[in-house]
Amino acid sequence: MSTDIGQSSSPKRIAINVGAGFVPGINAAVMGAALAAGKLGWELVGIRDGFDGLLHPERYPDGGLLSLGPRLIDNLDPAGAGVLGQSSRVDPFHVRTVDADGMVEEVDMSDALLQRLKVEEIDALISVFGGQGLSILYKLQRKGLNAVCIPRAIENDVAATLVSFGFNSALSFTIEMLDKARQSAQSARKIAVVEVLGAQAGWLALQAGIAACADAVLIPEIPCDLQALAASLKQRVTGRRPYGLVVVAEGAKLVETAQARADKPAEHALKASLSPLATGEASEHVIQRSGQAAETVANRLQLLIAEETFPLVLGPWTRGGVATAVDRQLGLAYGAGAIRALNAGNSGVMVAFVPPDIKFVPLAQAINKVRTVPADSEFIQTARSLGICLGREQS
Amino acid sequence: MSQSNKPAAPTGRVLNIQRYCSHDGPGIRTNVFLKGCSLRCKWCGNPESIRKNPELSYDPRTCTGKKACGLCLQPPFPDGAFYVVEGEDDKVRVNWDLAGDCDDATVALCPTGALSMFGKTMTVDEVLDEVEKDSSFYRNSGGGMTLSGGECLLQPDFSAALLAGAHERGFNTAIETACNVPWSFVEKVLPHVDTVLHDHKLTIPERHKKWTGVGNERILANFKKAYETFPDIDFIARTPLIPGVNADEEHIRAVLAFIRPHKNVIDYELLPYHRFGLGKYEHLGKVYELDDYKTPSDEVVQRLQAIIDEAFGRIAEAAGAR
Ligand code: SF4
Repeated sequence: MSTDIGQSSSPKRIAINVGAGFVPGINAAVMGAALAAGKLGWELVGIRDGFDGLLHPERYPDGGLLSLGPRLIDNLDPAGAGVLGQSSRVDPFHVRTVDADGMVEEVDMSDALLQRLKVEEIDALISVFGGQGLSILYKLQRKGLNAVCIPRAIENDVAATLVSFGFNSALSFTIEMLDKARQSAQSARKIAVVEVLGAQAGWLALQAGIAACADAVLIPEIPCDLQALAASLKQRVTGRRPYGLVVVAEGAKLVETAQARADKPAEHALKASLSPLATGEASEHVIQRSGQAAETVANRLQLLIAEETFPLVLGPWTRGGVATAVDRQLGLAYGAGAIRALNAGNSGVMVAFVPPDIKFVPLAQAINKVRTVPADSEFIQTARSLGICLGREQS
Repeated sequence: MSQSNKPAAPTGRVLNIQRYCSHDGPGIRTNVFLKGCSLRCKWCGNPESIRKNPELSYDPRTCTGKKACGLCLQPPFPDGAFYVVEGEDDKVRVNWDLAGDCDDATVALCPTGALSMFGKTMTVDEVLDEVEKDSSFYRNSGGGMTLSGGECLLQPDFSAALLAGAHERGFNTAIETACNVPWSFVEKVLPHVDTVLHDHKLTIPERHKKWTGVGNERILANFKKAYETFPDIDFIARTPLIPGVNADEEHIRAVLAFIRPHKNVIDYELLPYHRFGLGKYEHLGKVYELDDYKTPSDEVVQRLQAIIDEAFGRIAEAAGAR
């Protein structure tokens, strides 16, 4: 592993790029890094569209790299996104190409990527990545790249940091939508079952559900007993208050009866055991498509209670919009933190918010883990204190 | 049956040899699936055949877990490739980005076979000796060997040798192809084929590119040239029918307009889209991009089939069947 970034005062050229999937307010992280780099007399360049700007410079009139100098940064909106663009794939080890013979193939371009960084005299790379991107960065770092990761995850499921960039904006939007769903349920005198993002971690559902004073919140970490949920709703939905709001994370699981489990196709069991969060036999964890969780819960709940239910799905809507004040601050802090990490000679690290500090944790500590809601979480206790049903009798 | 006096036969990358098949050509057949494809159809039902090199597969149902085994959590397995998460279920999970360095030797260490590799290199004789096992069925049913994939034309020397060898042994031969290869590959293989099952996936080049990765100009040119160059081959056109993609009258009529002038295109089959490949994507750690798509309804399939039956002059028979 080469770590030639030291505390030397020689000017450095650092690159920054953004992983797949839209997250509000990415500009803030870019600005944070650019301002901190400028203060050290370093140059920050942005790679367009993930790694595409480096790997395919011929596709871009400006050569695929964007100089993030003071003039551009001064005019950048920190609440906005998209100054660097994104790519649907950020895996230089499997770049889909069509060869001269018109045949599609995935090609390992990681060496070409490292070579291009060398040619461009780029000393280190800051990547605003989440999920799979962390493993890709870890692999590149093992090949000698000086890499620093800024964690971003709408679902806040990146391990080793309290909060990932983008989560707060998604949370804010989700709360706003839950408020509207509740109003809609109120006027229709029904129970709204709203599916929110969260395939493996229930942070978004739980925190938004608390803020919106939902009647129930179902998260992947607590398999839901539909009978218990129905019993709770029967108490809360009354003639005086003939409506309800149930928030369902898309990866929420149902406790199945033994018979239902036996009837389940093997394919589902397989999917369950492949999910990092699956708990095998005890529960169901099958996300076949967006909207399935809300539909399943709404339909099955309606069979158990007198009220009507209707499903709503926030899904990809959550990824749009502008950044909240918290995300703007976090983005700027993470961007500046990434430069500080490099200036302190760190490489192969992720900047992490471990209150009250911004810390640098090895990438190896962040991969192969999912940050989930622990059973003793303060949010779980708060929800229970507020009378929000979490899909299980309190043990 | 070895042919030691002949020059060394080429080897090829074989995914699987499946016996007792009845759908891909006449009679009872053995399907030989070759590895590697030059398209990336979003609905692909054989994702394990796409990449040309062998790749890791993991079936968690047979993993006995960290406590009972845990071998893959240590060297020589690649660092970080396998892991377990906290909780009761201690079956390993795969980090597919870090597990790419696994090879036959490491995977063979898994005592339960939960880990395996898709694809192996075989000689022509090894494949044909396997196919030979059902020769009595072929003789009685008019069946034989079908090369499938992936794209069998991507290994033209191996495929040609396999098909020629099958002919020598008296078997009927068929191939399944999308024909996205240079004409020289087609030309090398087709002289040894009795039936060509070929895919007309989408008609409009831009839409073909969107859903499969490349336009269809070269594919259509290959089909036309193949119809004309090999008049004795039976060609059967096929369309994997996907609602919202190609399950529409316009596509079916466009394919019929393309194939009907050629008398050696003897049929056009519809293959209603299914999601049978879904489990395999999970074994490979790949994302199934067509998760939201549904199987076409019987009504749609029947309506489109009626158009084909009419074009092939089978209208009365079709009406009778309904
Ligand atoms: S070696 Fe095989 S059986 Fe053992 S833990 Fe790994 S996958 Fe499971």
